[in-house]
Amino acid sequence: MNGWILAATVALGAGVGTALWGVATGPLRRRVVAQNMSTALVCPALLLLSQGYTRPSYVDLALVLALLGPVGTLVFARLLADELADDPPRAWGVTWAVAGFGAVVVGVVSAATGPSRAMVKLLVIGALLIGGNVVASRALSGGFRGVGRG
Amino acid sequence: MNRRTTLLIAAEALAWWCALAALWLVLISTVDTLELVVGASAAGVAALAATAARRVVSAR
Repeated sequence: MNGWILAATVALGAGVGTALWGVATGPLRRRVVAQNMSTALVCPALLLLSQGYTRPSYVDLALVLALLGPVGTLVFARLLADELADDPPRAWGVTWAVAGFGAVVVGVVSAATGPSRAMVKLLVIGALLIGGNVVASRALSGGFRGVGRG
Repeated sequence: MNRRTTLLIAAEALAWWCALAALWLVLISTVDTLELVVGASAAGVAALAATAARRVVSAR
């Protein structure tokens, strides 16, 4: 057990635990936000675990999750558009807090990696993670209502 | 399609190719000749697709 694994355990236990509780209980507006936050928390946890176990392949999992998590949320935002329009989620505090956590984790892991191609990959993952989750949160709260529904 | 639009499309495809080839270069684990050849080809196909898709979307 080192500091990286400890931090990942805290992120998974406290963060993802809370997110799962939010997905399983409460009104729809809380569930969709918690669903979005769960992938946004697992991705930094995977980066911490890859550093803790020195297994670079975990970084690829984080990359896939950073890409597919927000895409999954966009599918929910589209399918539940009518229900969410009546009672739209307003969770910018949580969104920016989790985005900040992701930024801190990416920054620290990048600093530990040192300037290399691996660091650029981490920064790409961080940009995808934060950008994707901010866009997904905006879609959930009805920020793209002008977009045609096909 | 006049000469100016052709040049613009070529420039856009080239910009996409540069960005996508750089992304490939960052995401691979070991850099060798085969990876570079495959990456350049994949970035070429993806650049053409991206240029075409963007033109379709912006023409709507």
